Amino acid sequence: MIFAHGFGCDQTMWRHVAPAFESRFRTVLFDHVGAGDSDLSAYVPDKYKSLDGYADDLIELVRALGLTGAVFVGHSVSAMIGVLAVVKAPGLFSELVLVGPSPRYIDDGDYIGGFSAEQIEELLDFLAENPMGWSQAMGPAIMGNPARPELAEELTASFCRSDPMIARAFARATFTADNRDDLPRVATRTLILQCREDIIAPEAVGRYVHDQIPGSDFVLLSATGHCPHLSAPSEVIAAIDAFV
Amino acid sequence: MSEASPSSSHTPPPGDLADLFENAPCGYLVIDPDGRITLANATVARWLEQTPGDLVGKPLRDLLTIPGRIVYETNLAPLLHLRGGCEEVALDMVTASGQKSPVLINALGRRGADNGLISVKIAVFRAADRREYERDLQGRAAIAVRSLALEKADSELREQFIAVLGHDLRNPLAGILGGARLLRRDAQNEKAVRVLDLMEKSADRMAALIDDVMDFARGRLGSGIELQRDAALLEPVLRHVVAELEADRPGRTIVCSFDLPGPVFCDSGRISQLASNLLGNALTYGDPRQPVRLAASATSDEFRLWVANAGEPIPDLAMERLFQPFFRGKVRPSQQGLGLGLHIASEIAKAHGGTLQVSSDRAETRFTLVMPL
Repeated sequence: MIFAHGFGCDQTMWRHVAPAFESRFRTVLFDHVGAGDSDLSAYVPDKYKSLDGYADDLIELVRALGLTGAVFVGHSVSAMIGVLAVVKAPGLFSELVLVGPSPRYIDDGDYIGGFSAEQIEELLDFLAENPMGWSQAMGPAIMGNPARPELAEELTASFCRSDPMIARAFARATFTADNRDDLPRVATRTLILQCREDIIAPEAVGRYVHDQIPGSDFVLLSATGHCPHLSAPSEVIAAIDAFV
Repeated sequence: MSEASPSSSHTPPPGDLADLFENAPCGYLVIDPDGRITLANATVARWLEQTPGDLVGKPLRDLLTIPGRIVYETNLAPLLHLRGGCEEVALDMVTASGQKSPVLINALGRRGADNGLISVKIAVFRAADRREYERDLQGRAAIAVRSLALEKADSELREQFIAVLGHDLRNPLAGILGGARLLRRDAQNEKAVRVLDLMEKSADRMAALIDDVMDFARGRLGSGIELQRDAALLEPVLRHVVAELEADRPGRTIVCSFDLPGPVFCDSGRISQLASNLLGNALTYGDPRQPVRLAASATSDEFRLWVANAGEPIPDLAMERLFQPFFRGKVRPSQQGLGLGLHIASEIAKAHGGTLQVSSDRAETRFTLVMPL
């Protein structure tokens, strides 16, 4: 069972969920390139300007580990990265669990993604201000400050670190993506986990994904917000458990 | 002082505590694990043009701009769950009348017995000017990064230009010289020999000009004059330069004085170029009836070379611009060069970590290279 984190954090997001499956599955957790403890030198702006680059990494990872018949659990943007991966490489996974998926965040005609194009541009501008603050950034200026070695130590122990420039590029790849056409091409057994009051991936979007992926299951959790694996891990565990 | 002490001055009156909370110089909010506000002080309510009662029950994210909401849901909420706090997070709150209020927030979670999050205390600081200033700085940093990239592309282009310039100008010249030498092998009449002499002289002069232009381009546009330093015996090298110049200018003498007990660690080719430029200058501008003098000496920590000539002193105005490229004194048209000789000599001195200085009066004009060893 392979767990993929969404935009804004790293694999730590799964710390309350992944251990529950360790007795029955080999669990694999990873950080996308540019997030968490990933090797920043592996970050190639051109490759990661769209979600394809992340999907290629996922395929490479699964093949390098020799995983067959694995369950993929992806949150938020990683739900779509999983979808892209099985469209590119059918049979890569035996099951997909999509937590808070959205194939397109920007409204388009009848399709309601939840945001206007202007709002997403505002978001990208806002991210340029590095709102999460320098204590959360893992830029080299902070990591390599020999005068303050405690900073590097503190950051090692922190969660959801991100390089502000990479975070912004990841946000652009995430929030300007349109993967609606990929959904009907998913031939893998799929479960969609939908939260209530999720402004990032509203319920209507979750139901749209459910309609478009043939034969998919849809579970509306009672958890609210966008991160049920943090706010209501036992509910998420139970839903995944019932599906696999 | 113990807690039991009845006269403890550490316990403020209850009224003060309430005031410290309600009217603190920062906003206070408490949210539950789902992000709903459970407590708000008067300060933050006033900033948002609401009452504390209005705020209680609302999701915190509803008080933020749309980008702020996305950052809250994707970054901040996970962080509060995982780390139980944050510091210096920048957000834009929205007042009841729709005004944007830039703030910085610090947050600290409270955990229960099972380590689960019970609530999060948030301190809100208004930071409109500071955030504006940061935005401005970031804008400038972005401009600086862009112009640096442009500058880098420019400098790569210049390096390429210099390389191409040297190659493309020298090759046809080598063709002309080769052709002249080939013709000289066959028996030629007197006129042809004279023309060949002129051709070769012109081609040599052209080659020297190209070398000067290349050195100037490297020093000014490229990565600087490069040195190939080793322990060099300078006396024979300098004597060769002197012999060449004397041969070129019949009737002129250069009086030499050398005190070079051992080899000098330098680029001998460049040092002879510097000496040649200084001597050529002295021969051109100095009093032709008097000799030009060259001296070179080395101690354990310094190499010194000077060239002196008699004649009219250099005017004060000219002194200031002497080492600038394309500067020329008054000369006969036939002796016109590019005006790069002294500039290149001073660049060679700089590349060696040394200095080239000039003094000029009625008695003599003297250029002195001093270079640490």
